[in-house]
Amino acid sequence: MKVSRLMQSKVTWAIIAEALILLVCFIIRPEFFSISYQPSTGMLYGSLIDIVNRSAEITIISMGMTLVIALGGTDLSVGALVAVAGAISLKFLRWDVLTYNTPGDYTVYPYVLVIFVPLIVCALMGLFNGFLVAKGGMQPIIATLILMVCGRGVAQILTDGKQFTTGYSPFRVIGQGSFMYLPMPIIITIIVVVAVALFTRKTAFGAFVESVGVNPSASRLSGIKADTVILIVFMITGLLSGIAGLIYSSRIMSNDSNNAGLNFEMDAILAVVIGGTNMAGGKFSLAGTVVGSLIIRTIVTFVYYFGIVSEATMAFKALIIAVVIVLQSEPVREYFAKRARKKEGVSHA
Amino acid sequence: MHNRQSLLNRITNPKYIMVYATIGIFLIVYAFGAFMYSDKGFLTIRTFANLFIDNAYYGISAVGMTMVLITGGIDLSVGAVASLTGMFIAYGTTVLGLHPMTCILASLVMGVGLGLLMGWVIHYLNVPPFITTLTGMFFARGVCSLISRESIDIHHPFIDALAGWKIYLMKYANGQWVRIRPIAFINFNVILFVIMIIIGTFILQRTRFGRNIYAIGGNEQSASLMGLPAGRTKILVYGFNGLCSVLAGVSYALYVKSGWNLSLQGGELEVITCAVIGGTLLTGGVGSMIGTLFGVLLKSVIPALITFNGNLLSWWGKIATGLLLLLFICIQRFVVTSAGKRK
Amino acid sequence: MSELLSMKGITIEFPGVKALDNVDFSLNAGEIHSLLGENGAGKSTLIKCLTGVNHMDEGKIYLEGKEIRPSSPMEAIETGISTVFQEVNLCPNLSVAENIFVGRQPMKHRQINWREINRRAEELMSRFHLDIDVTRPLSYYSTAIQQMTSIARAVDIQAKVLILDEPTSSLDENEVQLLFNVMRELKDNGMGIIFITHFLDQIYAVSDRMTILRNGHLVGTYGIKELSKVELVTKMVGKDMDVIFNLKRADVKPDSRITLQANHIGDSSHIKDISLTLKEGELLGFAGLLGSGRTETAEMLFGASRIVQGEIILDGTKLNLTKPFDAIKAKIAFCPEDRKRDGIIGDLSIRENIMLAVQSRKGFMKPMTRQEQTDLANKYITLLGIATPDCEKKAGELSGGNQQKVILARWMAAEPEVLILDEPTRGIDIGAKAEIQRLMLEMCGSGVSVIFISSELDEIIRCSNRIVIMRDREKVAEIDGSSCTQQDILKIIAEGAA
Repeated sequence: MKVSRLMQSKVTWAIIAEALILLVCFIIRPEFFSISYQPSTGMLYGSLIDIVNRSAEITIISMGMTLVIALGGTDLSVGALVAVAGAISLKFLRWDVLTYNTPGDYTVYPYVLVIFVPLIVCALMGLFNGFLVAKGGMQPIIATLILMVCGRGVAQILTDGKQFTTGYSPFRVIGQGSFMYLPMPIIITIIVVVAVALFTRKTAFGAFVESVGVNPSASRLSGIKADTVILIVFMITGLLSGIAGLIYSSRIMSNDSNNAGLNFEMDAILAVVIGGTNMAGGKFSLAGTVVGSLIIRTIVTFVYYFGIVSEATMAFKALIIAVVIVLQSEPVREYFAKRARKKEGVSHA
Repeated sequence: MHNRQSLLNRITNPKYIMVYATIGIFLIVYAFGAFMYSDKGFLTIRTFANLFIDNAYYGISAVGMTMVLITGGIDLSVGAVASLTGMFIAYGTTVLGLHPMTCILASLVMGVGLGLLMGWVIHYLNVPPFITTLTGMFFARGVCSLISRESIDIHHPFIDALAGWKIYLMKYANGQWVRIRPIAFINFNVILFVIMIIIGTFILQRTRFGRNIYAIGGNEQSASLMGLPAGRTKILVYGFNGLCSVLAGVSYALYVKSGWNLSLQGGELEVITCAVIGGTLLTGGVGSMIGTLFGVLLKSVIPALITFNGNLLSWWGKIATGLLLLLFICIQRFVVTSAGKRK
Repeated sequence: MSELLSMKGITIEFPGVKALDNVDFSLNAGEIHSLLGENGAGKSTLIKCLTGVNHMDEGKIYLEGKEIRPSSPMEAIETGISTVFQEVNLCPNLSVAENIFVGRQPMKHRQINWREINRRAEELMSRFHLDIDVTRPLSYYSTAIQQMTSIARAVDIQAKVLILDEPTSSLDENEVQLLFNVMRELKDNGMGIIFITHFLDQIYAVSDRMTILRNGHLVGTYGIKELSKVELVTKMVGKDMDVIFNLKRADVKPDSRITLQANHIGDSSHIKDISLTLKEGELLGFAGLLGSGRTETAEMLFGASRIVQGEIILDGTKLNLTKPFDAIKAKIAFCPEDRKRDGIIGDLSIRENIMLAVQSRKGFMKPMTRQEQTDLANKYITLLGIATPDCEKKAGELSGGNQQKVILARWMAAEPEVLILDEPTRGIDIGAKAEIQRLMLEMCGSGVSVIFISSELDEIIRCSNRIVIMRDREKVAEIDGSSCTQQDILKIIAEGAA
């Protein structure tokens, strides 16, 4: 591929940004990259592992968000769905807190329900979003605003506004367990990313999503069942939010309807956009999204690791994201692409 | 042809349908409250005045947000900017010992500056408003947390005077003016809110700048081909919204008399919700201040109802707001499709 | 006559192409000057350069002897150049009146004077014999009225130079005449008008001079009486016209099998009762004015709008069409009228655009491999002569005619039995037009039944075996294509069937 084309691709810029941030880390303190093995937990440790581990929820959600954005929409409800999933699973683990008043290594209802009911409910809520968009003809941002506003209310009501905790060990595995030396969330993330990638790129689904995102009317007239595509995409996003919700609540072994998934929708959208998918819809890049999600988490880890006052995280994050976004903006990319073209022109001559 | 300008014809103009819907639903909800809780005093002027007092800061912010939404944009930074304003005032007066007006001026420079900057990035760098203002939100929150992570109380005679200033609502009885019972009053925040609504209405209806906002929201490309200054208008709108956010922050600081880095979290969505149930379309081009005014009232009457009920968890308020949104979007859909069919 | 505007040596380069190469143009005061050329000839670029949308690399523009360099539409308007663009460039959410005055509203006490705006708008619209409520939103009205509004805006600005870029494409005959009257009136007041259209008759009806462009070069400027239509077309295309239009009608035998049959179909809104039959390898033309129900009928046959009465039979089996997918499954294809909105998927590559219908029939779970897609795309790129370096170019970056070919390729790849083409030649240049007509007839030759909808009677007559004439949402006549004249059809359209 030509340099000019590479320079025009947003994904390139995302990767460069991530590399630069890591490079700065390396220069300041090389041990940022050290990875050690902890035999007691059977897991690898290190900042890099931590970045991937901690970015799991956002990466998983942003897989769905990528598809939603490729359709030209946004899903604001994902954060609320994270809270809903947590609330439901903890509800099943503890049920009536008055009867089961101490948290411990038990579950009131079968583990299958603890896992699958939240996922099914979240998928259905995603379907509801999709229904409003596809059949109701609403703008996605506003259709999903509804669940964003009432989702947390639902989560609170499910748990009577209380915060449950649990000590059920199989539940702990989701967020804190390990497999093949890696923390479980990383494994789940890999599975989700691969599954979504296969589903979109090994079938024609991805092409259909892009087509509907660019021109819904023309896609419909070309025989694509646009409504079905929209429904599936929102359902996937709901389901993935549910998975993220399980990971989140397994990490804290509790439900927190106020703070679980707070601003996840923002981070996920940011990850997708940094990853090079245009908010107006069309071509999407799952790999770019993964990089985007990693960038967001790297910044946060970086701040913690180097002991910069943690209060500054947000401001720092904003500054780096601003730089990345400005670098990715059309006029800037055009400028660099033009320069690259000139250079190529010279070398060809 | 001659009665084209007639009142009836003007009233039935389809562009007003959403405003009617908002006002109508507000009246229905209000009537419902009056019917259910009249014994607890729902119908009093005091309750009505409290709707304004308790939500003035949302209302002030909604004025700017309405304009941003009409251009087809969105501003997620308003809650954080308002929170930062509160922090400026609290930290400035309590810790640094500055006069509150100095802090407010500094906030204005910060808020309007950030707004203009975001507008510039949105227009000239072509970054989606959602992303630009999200970054702005992170930035403002971050600075807020940098200043302090603790809630700081505000104790300053100027602030106390401003916050305590009230106009009691009076009635004329037995040959003299007396305060109505139960006592009802309006404060500085309410007046600021009403003034902002009036200014907003004037800008939108009576100035070229205001009409350019609508034109850009209707079709930005057309607007610039018609020779309208799209870039300048957009940047100024975000700047004006920054101003509104700061004023909302001042108003909130007067209301709670403290500054906290996590205050008004999610406030931006409350404000957007107010605008949307006030008939503003998120696609841009449609919206009005009078609609937004009633949107704020409608949204604030729900928590009021829940308080009057006394038995319901406050979370039902969120669900009710969500349902209200759904209702409004359905009405909007209906209006759009039926207007589209009449060709 | 005094020279009002002159453009000298205009050159504009886009990455890779010279859109305009040393073009001169001049316009007198009180003149209607037509600007002609095929798509991609550089007409739009020249106009955009004049209105400050594109910036020229070389050349000078003089308005009334003074050099100007418009850098934005706003500046162009201020210097006295006002434009009506091809697509309605107004704000649908604003009222008709406001659309005319936005940005230059009359003020009173530093406030917008709404009463004055509405009064003056009504006056202006009545000049076009339009008696409408100018306070209603623009989106409330038809495209023709919207187009009139945008002309009214340009007229009211009282520019020195008025540019009309394809203003007539959505107007009916009466409206065109009204527009011409207004244009003549403006011309008599000393305004210079640049008029761009694809309709040759209109050029001869209204203009004084014409300038022809081809491939970014100036061919020449001529008085209206200097060139005949044939000469004009020859100059535009650069080829001899007879060669282009030497087409042979499809050959249908009387005993050919009937493929598609519609019995008394009607939709929920306008169309009540349409019946038609289509034979194998036949080309059925649909003639009628805009809004006569042609498109609506086609949409019913394709399942894009629901039929509430009657039945559609394909090869003896009754079809139940509820969505386009059903029709595609039954091997019916439909090229919609609005290429930009309903046809091309601009951000996707040519390859993806072409494979779409085939893939959607298969469903997304049975994907074509990348190689299959590329082969398919390349096959049709060669077959239809789509001008592109490779099949990965974004379809949106192609010219209008090539985009139309891509859409055609999409449907040819789906191997339909019945192909419905709604205005496939609108807005594309004569060369591409002839090529699309040739392709259509070739498809007939291979046994496909084609329904061809067009506003241009001569191409309908040239290609069709039979012609269905629509009027006021009814089918009023069906006549033989080989033995009728334009006059016959016009008479039926105007007066209904005898």
